Amino acid sequence: MIRSDNGYFGEFGGRFVPEILLPALTELEDLFFGLRDDPEFWQEYLTLTQEFSGRPTPLTPLRRLSKKLGGAQIWLKREDLNHSGAHKVNNVLGQGLLVQRMGKQRVIAETGAGQHGLATAIMAARLGLDATIYMGAEDIERQYSNVFWMRQLGSSVVGVTTGAQTLKEALDEALRDWAASVETTHYVLGTACGPAPFPELVSYFQSVISDEIKQQSMQQMGRLPDEIVACVGGGSNAMGAFGAFLENPEVTLVGVEAGGISLEDGQHSIRLSQDTGETGIAQGYKTLFLQNDDGQLGDTHSIAAGLDYVGVSPILAYLSQQGRVIPDSATDDEVTEAFSLLMKTEGIIPALESSHGLAGGFKRARQMKPEQNLVINLSGRGDKDIFTVARAFPQPEWTGFLQREAQRSSEILKQKGAH
Amino acid sequence: MFPSQNENLQIMSHAVIGFPGLEENEKAIAGLADAGVRLIELQVPFSDPVADGHTLVNACYEALKHGGSVRATLDLAQRVCKNHPEVTFVLMSYLNPLYRYGLEKLFEAAAAAGIQGMIVPDWPVEEIEPWLPKLDELGLAPILMVTPNTALQRVARIARASRGMIYVVSRMGVTGHETQWGEKFQRYIAEIRKHSDLPLAVGFGVRTIDDLSALQGKAEVAAFCSQYIEWQRDDGSEVAAKRMKSLIKSMGAN
Ligand SMILES: Cc1ncc(COP(=O)(O)O)c(C=O)c1O
Repeated sequence: MIRSDNGYFGEFGGRFVPEILLPALTELEDLFFGLRDDPEFWQEYLTLTQEFSGRPTPLTPLRRLSKKLGGAQIWLKREDLNHSGAHKVNNVLGQGLLVQRMGKQRVIAETGAGQHGLATAIMAARLGLDATIYMGAEDIERQYSNVFWMRQLGSSVVGVTTGAQTLKEALDEALRDWAASVETTHYVLGTACGPAPFPELVSYFQSVISDEIKQQSMQQMGRLPDEIVACVGGGSNAMGAFGAFLENPEVTLVGVEAGGISLEDGQHSIRLSQDTGETGIAQGYKTLFLQNDDGQLGDTHSIAAGLDYVGVSPILAYLSQQGRVIPDSATDDEVTEAFSLLMKTEGIIPALESSHGLAGGFKRARQMKPEQNLVINLSGRGDKDIFTVARAFPQPEWTGFLQREAQRSSEILKQKGAH
Repeated sequence: MFPSQNENLQIMSHAVIGFPGLEENEKAIAGLADAGVRLIELQVPFSDPVADGHTLVNACYEALKHGGSVRATLDLAQRVCKNHPEVTFVLMSYLNPLYRYGLEKLFEAAAAAGIQGMIVPDWPVEEIEPWLPKLDELGLAPILMVTPNTALQRVARIARASRGMIYVVSRMGVTGHETQWGEKFQRYIAEIRKHSDLPLAVGFGVRTIDDLSALQGKAEVAAFCSQYIEWQRDDGSEVAAKRMKSLIKSMGAN
């Protein structure tokens, strides 16, 4: 796994936070540095992910789809089969072990798609911790089913109404909470971004994904895959899928960002390609941000709330600058098409975030030879996207059902209110 | 000029450039100067002000809609520094707008405009230290922050890198909420004094005359920011300046 040079990866990374947050970050870093090379700690983590989240997740061959596309053999790394439905839980379970060691009783988290928030709510319930989850008001509307479950699990979900009301604002608000609560609260950052040690720490726990891919591909393909493709929001599932392969230069690594509606400002979340992201320092770290000439962070768009973010992992910024990771992107339309294709051909319902990886991977597989292997990291399942997908493929019976259900639940509310 | 140690408490007030508007900023600053304020922070609005509470967060968003930027701040600084030579102006900004402008170029432009100090909450001492020779040459004072949970060794390091004043964050959290000024706070102040002869500017939660009275004799500067911006927001800059004037009068009476 890649190691930082004092928090930096090339020119990216660092720790640019208000002074008040510094002690907690150094405490976390000391704890993490003391544990990360300890095989017993890693084993404790693996056992937890096995007992609680069903790891290892399978590597599934897509036989019908590969034949249909006529190129490489496509395999899916099934992070959608994790408990909670996405890779986010890997990082959260790992940080849960750290929280227990620090003895903190409260956790906070930012969330975009709600998958990280849901995983945090699950961990908090299991460990008996208080949890507050910050989520952009716009994302709450997009991913309401996750909000519903977080609240049922006992977490408090706070809608953030500043700015574009998405992941960037949720992260700002989590940092503000932390500034007041840092002595008793751990901030469970959900992706490979933010101030050191988070990029490194999150990538460490997520690297379980690429460790498994390596083993499974040796068993199932008899060799390493030719390419690995992952979607890139903040970069945690991509770092997870790439980590163990950084030492294998013959394996091509491809990160697919959200191409959104168009390349116009505010209509996409492409940070790694030239002409879009620019080096900046915000939200605690230095990386490629979408920003204007005045250094104001820009608005972003993606059909997938989890990719709708203005910065990107400093590790991925560095690896793509070095040419080790190839950046690519997929538009909203390409994504819904890939979503549908996987569902109808293989019977798997992917998350819209992960469908970016599918769109990018399918395109590449077509250009490859049948004896080659391409692995796509299916970071999550699509249940949470039922409303967004219903809008992308409108059907009158769905609308009718929603109207009847709204009627029923308001009647129940009225009856309860009357008592 | 920054105050010297043990001078009477004075107020440092605030302008968010572009809030409520660029022209209004200039009038508001004149009003503050007329009210007797001798230290004013010029805040570059930022899209993601993580150390600020809701008052300043919202002021930043408004300011960005009304033309607030690094360039607008430097432009304004040039005029207000000239028009109010009795006032010391301090640039307050998050790091990214300055970084994007080019740090060296920015420092030179700020000093040339007449700005005398700089507060950048997300710029840690480790990253400032290499710039100290340049900043000293320009006479631009980095005013670093100390917080209640800063380790003593680090307080010493921060004190060594600070110029002009040290900004004492009064409590945990972001700007805009109340603070208690009890014994614990006084011990905290005393601890910082051990490491520095610089005057102390206390900020976060200075909102009333009672807060100011409590700080009299303990610090040299009280940053009176969020409350002033709320006055400006709710009642306009003229009324806000009047309130500031009577606040300063009653401080003198104390
Ligand atoms: C299923 C899924 N995939 C991917 C992401 C993007 O995050 P990251 O780039 O950190 O993997 C998210 C974020 O919410 C997600 O829920």
